[in-house]
Amino acid sequence: MMENKIVTFSENEMLNFVDRLLNEKKFDVFGVKSKGEKFVFDLLEDSDELRLDHDVTILPPKKFFLPQYENLMDYDLEKPFNVKDKIIDKKRIIIGIHPYDIIAIEQMDKVYLDDQKDDFYNIRRKNTILIASDIQNVSDRSFSSSMNTNIVDSGFDILLTKINDKYAVTIGSDKGKKIVEKYAKTDNATENEIKEIKKARDETSKKYKKEVKNNDWSQLLVANYDNSIWEERSDRCLECSSCTMVCPTCYCYDIKDEVSLDLKDGRRVRTWDGCLIRDFTKVAGGEVFRDDIKERYRHRFFRKGNYLYNRYGFIACVGCGRCATACLPDIADPCDLINELSVFGGKGKDDKFFIKKESKIGETGTIHVPRSATIKRIEKLTSNETLFELELDDKKPLNHEPGQFVEVSVFGFGEAPFGISSPPSDKPIFEIVVRKVGDVTSQLFKMKKGDKIGIRGPLGNGFDMKKFEKKNLLMASGGTGMIPMRSVIKHVLSDENRPKFKNITILYGCKQPCEVLFADEIDEWKKVPNVNCIMTVDQCADGECWAGEVGLITALFPKIKLDRYDSKDTESIIIGPPVMYKYVIKCLQTLGISDENIWVSLERRMKCGVGKCGHCQINGIYCCKEGPVFNYNKIKDLPEAFE
Amino acid sequence: MSKPRVAFFDFASCEGCQLQIANLEEEVLDLISIVDVVSFREVMKEHSEEYDIAIIEGSIMRPMDEERIRKIRSKSKILVAFGACACIGGVNKIRNQWSVDEVKKEVYKNADLKDNKYFDVFKTKAVNEVVPVDYYIYGCPPNRDEIKKVITALAMGKKPDIPNYPVCVECKKNENVCLFELGKFCLGPITRAGCNSICPSNGSPCEGCRGMLKEPQTKCVEDVLKRYNLTYEEMKRRCTMYNYGKEGCK
Repeated sequence: MMENKIVTFSENEMLNFVDRLLNEKKFDVFGVKSKGEKFVFDLLEDSDELRLDHDVTILPPKKFFLPQYENLMDYDLEKPFNVKDKIIDKKRIIIGIHPYDIIAIEQMDKVYLDDQKDDFYNIRRKNTILIASDIQNVSDRSFSSSMNTNIVDSGFDILLTKINDKYAVTIGSDKGKKIVEKYAKTDNATENEIKEIKKARDETSKKYKKEVKNNDWSQLLVANYDNSIWEERSDRCLECSSCTMVCPTCYCYDIKDEVSLDLKDGRRVRTWDGCLIRDFTKVAGGEVFRDDIKERYRHRFFRKGNYLYNRYGFIACVGCGRCATACLPDIADPCDLINELSVFGGKGKDDKFFIKKESKIGETGTIHVPRSATIKRIEKLTSNETLFELELDDKKPLNHEPGQFVEVSVFGFGEAPFGISSPPSDKPIFEIVVRKVGDVTSQLFKMKKGDKIGIRGPLGNGFDMKKFEKKNLLMASGGTGMIPMRSVIKHVLSDENRPKFKNITILYGCKQPCEVLFADEIDEWKKVPNVNCIMTVDQCADGECWAGEVGLITALFPKIKLDRYDSKDTESIIIGPPVMYKYVIKCLQTLGISDENIWVSLERRMKCGVGKCGHCQINGIYCCKEGPVFNYNKIKDLPEAFE
Repeated sequence: MSKPRVAFFDFASCEGCQLQIANLEEEVLDLISIVDVVSFREVMKEHSEEYDIAIIEGSIMRPMDEERIRKIRSKSKILVAFGACACIGGVNKIRNQWSVDEVKKEVYKNADLKDNKYFDVFKTKAVNEVVPVDYYIYGCPPNRDEIKKVITALAMGKKPDIPNYPVCVECKKNENVCLFELGKFCLGPITRAGCNSICPSNGSPCEGCRGMLKEPQTKCVEDVLKRYNLTYEEMKRRCTMYNYGKEGCK
């Protein structure tokens, strides 16, 4: 690594430098200012306001890159595809960022500038010059020295270190070099001054009151997943999520549609969300996937110490101590928690709650801005479900694989995820089936042929159909699980593909006959050679017409002609309500099908669809990104997957 | 699509909530472009008995109120409780600490109120203690942005999105210095957000006007209060302002 160039200027020249920056109208200059006894990053009007002796700011600088409230796009409700994405491009300078916050920004970059780049974040990052400042005063709750985040040698454009009555200026980038050359009068640092920098840092390091005693959070956490500590501590939790709001490495968000009072214009707004809030995992149907506060409390620490550690290789805590200060019952401090857990000790398997999987990027273009599509056909399937045939207006095929999903936008109402129900196709047309559960679905029910909606996707990982070729296929669907399963079935049963697969068994269970989806198509499927299709309903009212079985789907398994199957040569797919998986998997295991050959599709609150907003997380994985299709063997040990 | 017909009604209250709508000023024009206001005593003299959405301000105090609100409920497709008095009883519930006779005696001394139906009061009730309520616009007074959000949602036929988390979330987003750290007492941690933490943002403690998100867990709250040298008694007293009768502040 190239040695950073270091120059110096006097304290007075530092203020002149800031004033010269302030006089340049092309920048907005933000810096640390006092707010009562505390500190905040705020717009500077004069260099006098700048405080570089701050211990910590109330909010971290993440607010500059992922603002508390952010307009992702504006739209015209009368012409819904008159969409403007809102990307700001004003250049900014932020002065006074401590090293731990620089590291936190680098961590955020990994998440937001990964393969599915967040354009809003990206532009803000590119347009911002980071002027870091070495720590002069240490916050009572900070433990950044024991996290090795109190000193940085990169990640900033320039870094200011107070040495005696001067500031040492470490140049970290070309951008930094340019502004120093243009706006400051500096001297080259002497050897002695360079030594003074280290001395100043060492002096500050001695001021820490807190120290985390274990740096292997990941294995320690995994070993203590079922420790009673989670319950004992979360008993005192107010569930206010203040800990996540003030955290420099918490980046989960929610997205909402807002409309003007005259209902003419709307906008899609992104705002911070926190995993301690109960509704964080709530899906439109009302189910809350992490209902117990103990689970939510634990989730936050696992995310910091284990989940993101596995995904990106860093502990997502920089020891700033903000959460500890913000938490009224004082249970949020990771330093206290890890030290307390260290007493129990233990080393779990790092990646126990994580699976490594590359996700396919089907989505291109500005993140969160949908493509326009037209409703071509609406067909009522049952009293609850309606099929929508959609055509992408850019006439490009969706290019999906069975099992993938799309986010459907109805402007003014929001976005909701739907499994794709039609098989892969080279036409720009595909089908979804909508069940009325929330605002978006209720509004879809009111729409008619020719109306426009927005589509993002295909998203997530579907079934790898190539892998299933030359195999027997056993597909079990429960209720609305038939919607995405139909995509698999229609793909497999097409004239072109049928010869590629061996025997096919389709099991389908519903609560009652009136809920059966695609009854006519199922009759056609039954006619295809070597297809065994059995349907069952939990109950059938007297007088109702029903030719299939009555009973739970698990009762169908004994009817499968086992001798036709070499169980080792069979792949099985299950899609259904959460309660179904456990029982059906047991039946498959009884048939001798190994866990590696069982595939499931899971439902969670898929909001962003690109592994960022955090709502669909199942332990260490994002259901929207690694899933929704999973190999059972890989996720069977995830405690949150089949609870 | 025809515009929904909206009627405002007031019960025991200061009518300040309705004033928040009058205070929308020129935006009132946008409002009436999406709904037909058919009854609104504070700003118009016309009145109609035909309405889809009834917006109720105030608490239910008397048998005659109860009769009136039942009638309104039976005529409306959607009934919205508007403001603290309607949503949770609010300040009107302070008097529930005493018996009706004690209250009358304190206020009216020895005046003869017998057989006067206007003074025939029972213990204060929130609207939902008498009739089912479809939606709530919380606050004393409600936040104008939230009023707009609920009305646009109803006009579009979607469910209004009312926060289900405490004021702390908004307070943190607004980067306020926590009032507990300043030695003040704040009900924000147990109060429903949606006000954009207006009181703490201006240095005043949250008084809980939007109602409690959940009943405070005594153990946890006592711990917190102790940490900041505050007493549980003080908290109960504070809760009385808007949340009298709730568990933990009786």
